[in-house]
Amino acid sequence: MNLVMKLERTGWRPIDYLVRVFTLASLLMFCLSTSSHAQSMFRGDPAHSGVYAGEGPRQFHRLKWKFATGNRIVSSPVIDNKKIYFGSDDGNVYSIDAESGREIWRRSTRGPVPSTPAVAAGMVYFTSYDGNFYALNAETGALKWKFTTGGERRFEAKGLHGIQPKNQTIADPFDVYLSSPVVADRIVYFGSGDGNLYALDAATGDLRWKFKTDDVVHASPAFVNGVVFVGSWDSYFYAVDAKTGKEKWRFHGGEDPLIHNQVGFQSSPAVIDGTVYTGCRDAQVYALDATTGKEKWRFDNALSWVNTSPAVTRGKVFFATSDSSLYHMADAATGKSLVRQQGKAYMFSSPAIAGDVAIIGVLNGTLEARDANTGELLWDYQTNASKQNSGWVLTADRRFNQPLLFFDNWGEAPILAQDRQVSVGSIFSSPLVANGVVYFGSTDGFLYALE
Amino acid sequence: MNGSGEMRLILLFVFASALICRAEDKARGRWEGAVQIPGRELEVVVDLAKADDGLWQGSIIIPGLNLAGTPLVDIAVQDSDASFGIKTGRGLEATFKGHFNADGTFSGDFIQAGNRASFTLKKIGAPQVEAPHRSTPVAKEIEGEWKGEYQIFGTPRHVTLKLTNGTEKSATAELVVVGRKVNNLPVDLVTQEGDLVTIESNQTGIGYEGRFNKEANEIKGTFMQGPVEVPLVLRKSK
Repeated sequence: MNLVMKLERTGWRPIDYLVRVFTLASLLMFCLSTSSHAQSMFRGDPAHSGVYAGEGPRQFHRLKWKFATGNRIVSSPVIDNKKIYFGSDDGNVYSIDAESGREIWRRSTRGPVPSTPAVAAGMVYFTSYDGNFYALNAETGALKWKFTTGGERRFEAKGLHGIQPKNQTIADPFDVYLSSPVVADRIVYFGSGDGNLYALDAATGDLRWKFKTDDVVHASPAFVNGVVFVGSWDSYFYAVDAKTGKEKWRFHGGEDPLIHNQVGFQSSPAVIDGTVYTGCRDAQVYALDATTGKEKWRFDNALSWVNTSPAVTRGKVFFATSDSSLYHMADAATGKSLVRQQGKAYMFSSPAIAGDVAIIGVLNGTLEARDANTGELLWDYQTNASKQNSGWVLTADRRFNQPLLFFDNWGEAPILAQDRQVSVGSIFSSPLVANGVVYFGSTDGFLYALE
Repeated sequence: MNGSGEMRLILLFVFASALICRAEDKARGRWEGAVQIPGRELEVVVDLAKADDGLWQGSIIIPGLNLAGTPLVDIAVQDSDASFGIKTGRGLEATFKGHFNADGTFSGDFIQAGNRASFTLKKIGAPQVEAPHRSTPVAKEIEGEWKGEYQIFGTPRHVTLKLTNGTEKSATAELVVVGRKVNNLPVDLVTQEGDLVTIESNQTGIGYEGRFNKEANEIKGTFMQGPVEVPLVLRKSK
């Protein structure tokens, strides 16, 4: 007796069976893809460990390929099923073949996309400066749904960074990222310039809840054990119940009422072994108890921003600083400094740890690979834009050439300087390491694959 | 020495003087042109002249770098070559090394932060060298040590200012700020106009300006650190 006959006798039609099998299989696939936490979102997983499978290249062999987009790339690449996904400030999200660098599809939005996509259950999720949150079919780029937030905006303040005139509200030119979504248990979570942390049904885009903070949320939320963790530019770091959207605890970072330079969470948290690790623009790296929010330790960086999102593995925390351009490794339990290496320029990019190799982008247009244990530089790769050094943004040894960068002192210098900075192919993008290949974006508009 | 020997000496002297005069004539003036930095042309105006003491002096204007009347340093003019430098409080150090050409231009290399680019300047008129700012003497009653405190980024800073009149009709100052560490700040300029006292440390971008009271035991003013301005009251140490 064949299967169809058996089913007919029990009153089941074959089509019902197929539908149920298909539904179960889809559900299983969805659960697997969300619970196994494939490395297809910002920082590699919902906990934001920043750890990537396999060993990173200890030597640079060659440029495998580079892929041109129409504007700068701030977004970080993610990989899923041998396809790379990333956003560009040209307004597109791209899917390209990881091996060849050939474009598979692109989908346009009406604003820059400095958000890192998350891929789960055959869908690609990301935010755009057009104020919408998008869900696309990962295979085709077809729009599945989009959700309109209260609108994007940059962090802003009067007299920001001492920029004149003091009474003018200035949008922060260094607020370069948009929140990157995290997907877990069929919900997608992300922050917005409207100050909310959103939880949407990953399949339909229906709003599950939103959690209001008092300022821009451009950090990427981490998800661990039913709790969503994220910092806001309102100087608070929040832990929110993933099911209800209710606040579990909040932690107060530093304030800077004078020039608003030393305030706000731009860094995204890593939540490992019951501890939240996050950088802050108040120049601290904080380790907080994930259950209570109580501070375990803080690492002071002497007024230098920590915009990188820490990577945490093997009991060590890896992060880098902006102005002081330092690469750090600290003990995860105590915060004690283990490695301190002087870099050449500001770092916003977050370190990717692959085996014993740490890879990080630098705003001088150089990608650096360091020994994860010692912090020693193994190799670096300089983009062409950095080599060209238009306008002498860099010194001959690739440090930022401050007198030419901030030449008009504290007039509108930081605004102008940011434009000048990115002319050397700055790497805001956090590297992805997969199968021994390093992928990253640059403000020169190219996505690079190095091996 | 015979007559022909004397004549040779005179001729040599005249020739040397002529050479020196020609070098002087060549260099003296207002020069205008541009430095060809990759992707960015920097317009430059340079003024060069000899002071009464026979030393070269000069100033430079670079609108693209927010420099106006910045004094030139290390000026050297020899035959058909000249070099001079810029050293500003904001950390800009650069050198021009050039040659006076037959076509009346002055061209060569602009070197900054290890980078090198070519420049060409053309003389457009008489020099308009800007006199550098100089410190003034301060009133005797405000000479001495002053102390105060301000707070920035949540950390208190203790300030000690010591004003001393020097021998050359100008005051000097020692400025020490103690926060997380002790900072002895180099002071470039001390001026007093009426009851207004100004202190400038160009190298650090730090400054203070304030007015002292009739009793000359308190200065109320503003401490400036980069973009930050905070009130600072200094009191005379007893």
